[in-house]
Parts: sequence; C-alpha cells; structure tokens
Amino acid sequence: MHYICVVDLKLKCMKTKILFPNHFKRIGWFILIPSAILGILAVFDVFKFEFLGKATMFALYSDDFPGGSTVFGFVKNNISDEILGILCIIGAILVAFSKEKHEDEFIAKIRMESLVWATYINYAILIFCMLFFYSIGFLYVMIFNMFTILLFFIIRFYYLLYRSNKSMSHEK
Amino acid sequence: MKNNLKVERAIKNITQEELAKQIGVTRQAINSIELNKYVPSTILALKLSQYFNKTVNELFFLEESD
Repeated sequence: MHYICVVDLKLKCMKTKILFPNHFKRIGWFILIPSAILGILAVFDVFKFEFLGKATMFALYSDDFPGGSTVFGFVKNNISDEILGILCIIGAILVAFSKEKHEDEFIAKIRMESLVWATYINYAILIFCMLFFYSIGFLYVMIFNMFTILLFFIIRFYYLLYRSNKSMSHEK
Repeated sequence: MKNNLKVERAIKNITQEELAKQIGVTRQAINSIELNKYVPSTILALKLSQYFNKTVNELFFLEESD
C-alpha cells in the first residue's frame, strides 16, 4: 500500500536560521568596500580619522613598548583602526553569510565546501608566513590574517557559483 | 550514483529552469544533479519522484563505485 501525500511540491526554502536575509548582502558590500580601503591605508599609517584625536579607552591589557604596560586600566589611543577593523569584520560577515536570492541545498553545499577550502588556504598561507616573516613583518601578516579567512571564503564561494552558472549556459 | 532525470525531463518536455521552479530549487541544483556532480538530499529526491510520478529507484541508481 502506498500513500502519496498531496503536499506542496516546492521545497520550503531550506530553513537555515544561521544566515542573514538576502538584502543584508548589499549592506555588507557598502560597509566592507570603503572600510577595507581605508583600513589598508590605516595599517600603513597613511590614513586615520584625525578628528577622533586620542580617546581614552578601557584596556584589559595594553603593552606600551617602550613604556610599561596597563592591566585593567585606561589608555589613550586613536581609535580609527579599531573602528575600521570592526566595520571590515561586520561587512565581510554580512557579505559572506547572507542568503542568496534563491537559497537551496545545492547552494548550501557550495557554501560549506568553500568555508572548508578557505580555512585550509588561510592556514596554509599562515604557516608559510610564520616561516618567512619575522618581527614587525609578522605583525602585519597577523593584522591581515584576521580578515583573510572571510575574504578567501567570499572569493571561493562566488567563484564556485559563477562556475556552476557557466556550466549551465550550454544546457537547455 | 546515476540518474535519468534528463530523460524524464525530455519525456515531460520541461526545461531545467521550469523543473527547478516547480520543485523550488535553483536551476544549478537540477543541472548539477543531471551532470552527476551533485547527489540530492532524500527530500529533494522524493520531491522529484513525486513530480515525475516515478519511484525514487526509477529515477536514481547506484553505481559500482557507490
């Protein structure tokens, strides 16, 4: 005996709760692009928000070489790089983890594979840099490494989407 | 795993795009299944079987390597 239940054939768009709605992707790009450009300039000391001056910030720990260190105290600091860094992370997270217009299980698989791939590449590059960058050079590597895993993921994910779109164009 | 989705689609004379719309997945998903690049979830396989009015075994087959 075999029952065919008359259900709506459409797959109820995979109920993923861990992704942002699709329109957050656009917001993500608007945040990510300017803050990434300014952030890179800030890393190389070309740019900072001068009008912010030096703010008094609470620090769990701050090592002010060559002065002493502060534990659970206040430090003076221009917070341009903090603001830009946080905006970069928020922007990249929104771009990376907002749903596609049409999210389905195939897209979910591409997303998962891209994330694994990005993690491998990110740490492979980090291992390489550990061996070939030293002192302040390595500090720069660490600064960029905070963001590269998301960057590699975004590149890989869109590349795979693009490739699966292209392989389709000659199919009817 | 192999499948004869393409054949069934030809019999019904329906495009990938149209089938994808009916089932509620992306066209890439249908395309990748037909190219044997993607193994659908059980849910998607059942939806396809319902759409074509065939059992899942008539649509999908195991291969030696599975």
